[in-house]
Amino acid sequence: MREFEYVAPKTVKEALNLLATYKEKATILAGGTDVVVRLRDEIIDPEFIIDIKHIDELNGIKFDKKEGLFVGANATMHEIQNDKNVKEFYPFYADACGHVGSKQVRNKATSVGNLCTASPLGDSLTPMYCLDATVVIEGPKGKREAPVREFITFVRKTVLERDELVLGVKFPYVECKGIYTKNARRHEVDLSNIVATILKVGDEYRIAYGSVAPTPIRLVKTEEFLKGKKIDDKVIEEAKKILTTEISPISDLRATKEYRVSVSQSILENSLKALG
Amino acid sequence: MKKINVKFTLNGELIELEVQPNHTALRVIREQLDLTGAKEGCGAGECGACTIIVDGLAVNSCLMLAPELDGKNVLTVEGLAKGGKLTDIQQAFIDHVALQCGYCTPGFIMSTTAFLEENKKPTREEIEVALAGNLCRCTGYKRIIEAVEDVVNKRGGK
Repeated sequence: MREFEYVAPKTVKEALNLLATYKEKATILAGGTDVVVRLRDEIIDPEFIIDIKHIDELNGIKFDKKEGLFVGANATMHEIQNDKNVKEFYPFYADACGHVGSKQVRNKATSVGNLCTASPLGDSLTPMYCLDATVVIEGPKGKREAPVREFITFVRKTVLERDELVLGVKFPYVECKGIYTKNARRHEVDLSNIVATILKVGDEYRIAYGSVAPTPIRLVKTEEFLKGKKIDDKVIEEAKKILTTEISPISDLRATKEYRVSVSQSILENSLKALG
Repeated sequence: MKKINVKFTLNGELIELEVQPNHTALRVIREQLDLTGAKEGCGAGECGACTIIVDGLAVNSCLMLAPELDGKNVLTVEGLAKGGKLTDIQQAFIDHVALQCGYCTPGFIMSTTAFLEENKKPTREEIEVALAGNLCRCTGYKRIIEAVEDVVNKRGGK
């Protein structure tokens, strides 16, 4: 690991001042399960590491039916997967967080970190896409919010400026049933070949997939087709065809393009049958 | 590069020392504090050989920067046995011969120790999930899972 200075601000204000001073020379550290690996492999070479874990304002998970769910930047996957309200009202998100890495990783990794890493296969991201979550950002000009679908712009690219900090993610409360699916070579400690969340909200479906495009995506055409339809074999077959027009997976060391298309179709079929 | 002063509890003892920010907690524990139970396997949070318990939770010490130790309560495998007496988990690993080369064993024991505090009566499947972040390339896990089940049975859910 190359040399860097380590700073641990105690307030958001302090962190923003440090970011404003150091800008592209700084990397924000939360759980560190991605950042430390990238430091070790010298993929990133910051002069300053800003550890945000001592900022109490960024801790915690809050919920009420009117405001929805707020997940702070320091909330770990372990905390989210075991949170009473997340388990009751967003069980597919609890499931997603419970499928990240290993127990040791979940005890440190954060869902907001997962979002800022902006990997196309981020395990906890498809629930955010399905619920049209909002990313709460603070910078020198104050607070702003970005819809999650606009926050990630490409593989490991976001709209976050170098002097800004993500405070947390807001999920609206939506009455729904949902299913989270992760396909990987092993159940734990593996990167996803395909990851998906499918929700049924009233007579509509919301479908988000990861690892099928440069960013996680919503399958809007498939959703449009399924709107108000009764699920039967014919509808499922048609939906599976439309799905293939919306995804563009690649072949890599984990899976081939063809396999990913086939698995994506199976996930859609299984989820639609289970949700009815 | 500025060194960072950290104060933390290690195996019940208060420690204060200067660490380099670009060292991992694992490196500090092994090379500055000479506790070599935790091992570096993959160095990327996949194998669990470096597992230690921080504030009651099992974490990969290879993914923790040294300054992150500040203020924490840290337990390593060296802190388990009291007065030369092994814990029931350590003894069960011996009784079940749940190891061959032993490189992964401290990590497995620390994961098990933290997990059985959180879940007193786990199912076999829950044990498998809890230990999935620890890799063993010798025994094939059967004996390890059996050792953990034996501890659970002997403790009787306490």
